[in-house]
Amino acid sequence: MENRELWERLNMDLAKHDEFLAPLPQVFTELFLNRKNRPAAMGYFDAVVGDVHGIRVHELFAMKEAGAKVFSTFCVYVPEEIVVATGSASIGLCAGAQFTVSSGEKLLPRNLCPLIKSTMGFKLDRICPYFQVSDWVIGETTCDGKKKAWEILNEYIPTYVMDLPQKKDAKDAQLWEEEVREFAAFIERETKVDLTAENLAQGIEKINNKRQALQRLASLRKHNPAPIHGLDVLVINQLAFFDDPVRFAAQVNALCDELDVRVKEGVGVAPADAPRILLTGTPQPLPNWKLHALIEQTGAVVVGEETCTGERYYKDMTEPADNVTDMLANIAKRPLKVNCACFTPNQGRIEDISYMAKNLQADAVIDCTLQFCQPYGVESYFVGRAMEGTIPYLRLETDFSAEDQGQLLTRIEALIEMIRA
Amino acid sequence: MKQAGLDLGSVNTKLVVLEDGERIYSQVVPSRFDSVQAGIRLLKVYRAEYGEEPKQLVVTGYGRVNFPEGRVITEISCQGRGCHAYFPDYAYILDLGGQDAKVIKKNAQGKIVRFIMNDKCAAGTGRFLDIILKGLDLSSEELKLAADAKPMPINSMCTVFAESEVITMLAKGIPKPEVVAGLFKSTAQRLANFVESVGHPECLIFTGGGAHYNLLIRFLEQELKGKVVIPPEPELTAAFGAALLA
Repeated sequence: MENRELWERLNMDLAKHDEFLAPLPQVFTELFLNRKNRPAAMGYFDAVVGDVHGIRVHELFAMKEAGAKVFSTFCVYVPEEIVVATGSASIGLCAGAQFTVSSGEKLLPRNLCPLIKSTMGFKLDRICPYFQVSDWVIGETTCDGKKKAWEILNEYIPTYVMDLPQKKDAKDAQLWEEEVREFAAFIERETKVDLTAENLAQGIEKINNKRQALQRLASLRKHNPAPIHGLDVLVINQLAFFDDPVRFAAQVNALCDELDVRVKEGVGVAPADAPRILLTGTPQPLPNWKLHALIEQTGAVVVGEETCTGERYYKDMTEPADNVTDMLANIAKRPLKVNCACFTPNQGRIEDISYMAKNLQADAVIDCTLQFCQPYGVESYFVGRAMEGTIPYLRLETDFSAEDQGQLLTRIEALIEMIRA
Repeated sequence: MKQAGLDLGSVNTKLVVLEDGERIYSQVVPSRFDSVQAGIRLLKVYRAEYGEEPKQLVVTGYGRVNFPEGRVITEISCQGRGCHAYFPDYAYILDLGGQDAKVIKKNAQGKIVRFIMNDKCAAGTGRFLDIILKGLDLSSEELKLAADAKPMPINSMCTVFAESEVITMLAKGIPKPEVVAGLFKSTAQRLANFVESVGHPECLIFTGGGAHYNLLIRFLEQELKGKVVIPPEPELTAAFGAALLA
């Protein structure tokens, strides 16, 4: 089946979709393909982005024809293991395009996080095949904007909401474990597949292997000179939410093998004195590459992301167990180690940032918040206070639009001058 | 040896030339939406007068990335360098330019240790003041009276909303000097908060076109409970710093 036929069957707005995708090849060529000294193993990921609304959507469509379901998520807290265990697919959704923000604003307030507006716009405009192929959206209560937006989104696509606690005390952990068990029952009902010790162990193993591959990649970035650009790692982190977990992990490991050789030979993508930047804050969902591109345009290298399209997604493993009950308990434990600003207090995040900055030999930290994101915007106070006097630090606020690139670049260049002075 | 600094700003473009560290030339022209052309013109005028272009040139400001020659350094580093030459003992700089406002903190060696800039909005920038003042169409007498008038607070810091707030005040018969005093006081409050989000200076260096408003300086001193110092020709310090870095 050709892509267009598939998109038609998924009830997409083809004209609008063409308009949306039209600038992508040029942007991707300029930002990625034209860059020198990229690892050869990026070829796989380039091919995935090159046909981002094709290959994988065909796979998902075929899975559905064979009786499986597709569950879409927006958050690192949603337990993929459970979905994968049943033979169904868990994917992340596009949420990082300015193109769909204005449609989102038809239903949502303008003064709302662009990620939520972009998401809503993708569904309203019917230009995201992943949304169209999905049976369910799995939402969570990580912020008030999302929490309320799910109620509206539910009128367009069935939306299941997981209630994530706001603290990490024993009673919160208990509530979350109940939430995970309910979710497991829901997935069993929807997929008509029972969770067994065998299939759930496989689900855990598949997702853990993916996390392990991403950890290995992240750890290679601590070397100087940096063996890979941050922009390339960002796109891999973004695709981690979409791709088949087993194939993806194999490809990430193949890339790491290549980077191991680079590290051994002292080969890097930038000179050893290039400023090394750690990014922290809100996620950069596909296809938003703005900040990494601007930072690396100045000659600096992004060496880590303390974000949900980075460290938070893969830093913790689910412990194995020998029965379904214990496995679900362990699945529930993992997310509560993730330090998202939706929790109070969230001191662990400050420790994560400080540790990463040291471990990755970062020269500066950039704390970037999406406009109107309350949890991260407020928490910037603590991030700034912890960084002050220990490492050069810059706070930025932005959205998905291109118009503030000049202003952002001035700030980033000034930070680089500060480091180099 | 001659060193030149060219500051391609959103409102004005400025050139400063030094010879053996001493300033021998400075000029300011309006950018008129094309600071690059304004910069090229400035260099041409200089060349006509001095016979040759300065050997070493640093370009800074909003138009710097598109300028065909010179080494590019951001206005943050240039502003810091220029201010350090005048005030080596003071750490904090507030720069109120045409389309942005920034706070810079430097250390005793003049190295920049922190800076913040306003987000993408005209609120609290020089352009904000210009637009509202232009709308008020003040006589020099009214401006003088503003110095002693009771400030009428302006709550809205969105340029468009503030403009309509001012129109409403005037329609209610509030005297213009009170509105102007309120405008400067409200702006000073906002700028003081901006400065205090970085630190609490006993003495603040204030630069940019905004540093020409005496009433703003006075309110700023009140808000910060400290002293505000202005370098000679505060709109030229970034160009001066650029020349020093050239």
